[in-house]
Amino acid sequence: MLKLFLWLKYLRTRRIIFLSIAAVALSVSLLIVVASLFTGFINAFERSAVEMLGDVVIGPAPGGLFEKYPALVERLEQADFVKAATGTLSSQGLLHVGRGNVRPVSIWGIEPERRAEVNGFKDVLLRQKETAGPPSFAVPGAPEQPGGYVGIGVVAEADQETDEYDQDRILEETIGQRVVITTGTVDEEADGQATPKRKVIPFYVADVVFTGVHDLDSGFVYVPIEMLQDALYPDLAAPATTVNVKLKPGVDPELAVAQIRGLWQVFAAEELGWSTWRADMTDVVTSLEMQRQYIDELRKQMGLLLVIFGVVSFSVVVLVFCIFYMIVRLKRRDIAVIKSCGAASVSVAWIFLGFGVTVGVLGAGIGAVLGYAITKNINAIEDGIRVLFGLKLWSSSVYMFSKIPNEVDWVSSLPIIALAIAAAALGALTPAIIAALTKPVEVLRYE
Amino acid sequence: MYKLTLIFRYLVKRRITHFAVLTVALCVFIVVVVMTVMSGLVGEFKQKNHAFVGDCVISTKSLVGFPYYEDFMQTLEETDEVAAVSAVVKNYALMRREGDARNRGVEIIGLDPVQHSQTTNFGQTLYHQAADVAQAFVPAHEPNAVGCVLGIDLALWRNAQSQYTYDSEPADIGLILTCFPLNARGAPAGAGSVPVSTKRFQYNDHSHSGIAGIDGSTVYIPLEWAQSLCMAGARKRVTALHVRFCPDVALERGCARVRTLWDQFKQSKQGAPDAGLLETVTVETWRQYRRAVIAPMEKEEAMLSVMFGFVGITTVFIVFVVFYMIVSHKTKDIGVLKSVGASSPSVMALFSGFATAVGVLASCTGVATALLFLANINRVENWLFERFGFQLWDRTIYAIGDIPHHAEFSVLAIIVFCAIVACQIGALIPAYCAARLRPVETLHGSRT
Repeated sequence: MLKLFLWLKYLRTRRIIFLSIAAVALSVSLLIVVASLFTGFINAFERSAVEMLGDVVIGPAPGGLFEKYPALVERLEQADFVKAATGTLSSQGLLHVGRGNVRPVSIWGIEPERRAEVNGFKDVLLRQKETAGPPSFAVPGAPEQPGGYVGIGVVAEADQETDEYDQDRILEETIGQRVVITTGTVDEEADGQATPKRKVIPFYVADVVFTGVHDLDSGFVYVPIEMLQDALYPDLAAPATTVNVKLKPGVDPELAVAQIRGLWQVFAAEELGWSTWRADMTDVVTSLEMQRQYIDELRKQMGLLLVIFGVVSFSVVVLVFCIFYMIVRLKRRDIAVIKSCGAASVSVAWIFLGFGVTVGVLGAGIGAVLGYAITKNINAIEDGIRVLFGLKLWSSSVYMFSKIPNEVDWVSSLPIIALAIAAAALGALTPAIIAALTKPVEVLRYE
Repeated sequence: MYKLTLIFRYLVKRRITHFAVLTVALCVFIVVVVMTVMSGLVGEFKQKNHAFVGDCVISTKSLVGFPYYEDFMQTLEETDEVAAVSAVVKNYALMRREGDARNRGVEIIGLDPVQHSQTTNFGQTLYHQAADVAQAFVPAHEPNAVGCVLGIDLALWRNAQSQYTYDSEPADIGLILTCFPLNARGAPAGAGSVPVSTKRFQYNDHSHSGIAGIDGSTVYIPLEWAQSLCMAGARKRVTALHVRFCPDVALERGCARVRTLWDQFKQSKQGAPDAGLLETVTVETWRQYRRAVIAPMEKEEAMLSVMFGFVGITTVFIVFVVFYMIVSHKTKDIGVLKSVGASSPSVMALFSGFATAVGVLASCTGVATALLFLANINRVENWLFERFGFQLWDRTIYAIGDIPHHAEFSVLAIIVFCAIVACQIGALIPAYCAARLRPVETLHGSRT
């Protein structure tokens, strides 16, 4: 009770303590915002990998591709831990979109229906995401024409100021437009000579893809896998570069990889006639594992930035120490009176240590609220800076995503809060000890 | 004189002041290290981009290009401001190795190696042909073949310490480039022309510009072959002209001159065939031309500065608290000073001077420590990598060599100035409170 009384009294009379609370709050909010933005970016990156590739990816195989992928898909879908699987045939080409507009693109031959089951592909199709039924390559108004999808950044540029696309206008101008892909292969002639052959694949735009990931939106086009197979590899039986697998909910991807590898090896031996060595050379990895190196690098950069700001924020300890030292020096008579009334040294120390912890808790609490508010509203703040100062801080062409990830990462925020409270306690420790060592007879002696 | 004496005495005897000095020094240390590294990276990046494109670029974003460039090059070469001009064709192609079916998309840059080396640092980026740039496209293995130069990351492998493994001579590799020629109207080449052009080139050298996006995706070929592969039509076209100004010509003045000349040239070509293509051409400084890659780095540098500014507020708080404590404890001293005639502004100046002394001492300590750390930062990183496998930046991902460690005087000066100003701001209110103290109240016998 005495402690509470004294804490409230010091808070009322020693307003300088609010400075230490403010310093703790500022440091905590900065660290929470940095940790949350970085973690949010990493999570968004991992999520986009899973959304685009599924949970597990088989391939590419030695030589770049393998045949009879539908048989592999069938075997996979018979497994009780697999929800769906689909094949992808990849290539690279040049896309001619309009007058003078040629750009390099990655071409994916896909099965849109199956793909939608593997990774929710329908949600990124601007025209078909709201329609009933599975997605298809049917061109509106010309269903007999070969259809394909193009990334939104392939056919249009985002507004320089807002970094947003005028989706309605793009759909209106692009759907039904004829585009041409040029790609190439090497054909083996009868005399064993390899002859480069160009392959031209015209199609009509059936839909526009907008994933929110800049590289995907500005560098990919999607065509029916059969069309790409016929154009590039007419002599092969249903070739694919990779097979993407979606696992059932609750299945651990790491464990599933081993089982899927087993299925792949049996398939390679029985259907393709491959040796065990050749089958082993094919990658079977989780989509997260494919991004591991880059994600680890991002985590390292985040750690480094947190350490840098953490070291600077350590000055909070010094601030709390100074303030509490000043209070102890000014309140020596109060302390002496308390001790002369029978309070033990430990009790006296606890008054100030507990006060330090309280300052830390208050500061960390305010900092957490501030950090939460800034993180949650980061896109609005960024937009406000753009409107007020004409400065566009975040653009998808630089940072991959069209929106700044704005989820607070409590896993890394809670240790920050705990450390802030500990720092405040540490700053109050020496003054608390000094208070505990106060000798009443020396302080209260009349001179 | 008494001010200096008191400042020195407070600095030495008041141990609480040491905390303020240490905290400010720590902040200065961190900011100097981080900003030196950051500004070093940004500065290096800008310098590489400048060297890559020259001073001024006359270009069009359309892959169709523009004609009559030879006439304009002649005009430019006759002006006093221009030291060198080179013509460039930029386009995209599919590239594959001879014998391999896999294609990859690359950017091709068609240029004259001698001309381009006079305008940019192209010659210096070569490895095997650096001494004789004219041989850049003359393959040693097959002198009758047409050579090409690959971006270094297309040709060589980089290890975890950002080091490449160089061969004594170029590997004997044939590369097939497939292009999509466009006519002057921007449409694919029609009847009478080849709709897709394919040509075999012999790998002859690699170019290390130091710009990751370029070194990993660019193939350099002779200008005339780029025009032949990518452009169909009667008139030869290019997509850009790169210009280097004479040393005594300021960048903005030079570009303004080129802009004027270009407008006059455009005017003179009105009515000529394909003259409409000249309307898409812009004249830009190297900074404007490469703003898409430079601006984000400059923005990040600015954002980091702002974040450190917030952190610096804590420094102000500490100085405030320390000075508040000193003023609280030195009320008698202040009372004595004022009673012997020191004015309130003098007292305020005393504490202001004290704050400056703290700022200067802390800044000097912080800067000295930071410079010592920066001088050894690469040694420390190499040791950490050898011992623990830890690198500040993974060199297999980031195209960085050594960590920049040369602090610029201007950056140091700004940081020191801000530290002193922060100390001044922190000491402002306590100094004002000290100046307002009344001797009769502070020296009163019952006051403790």
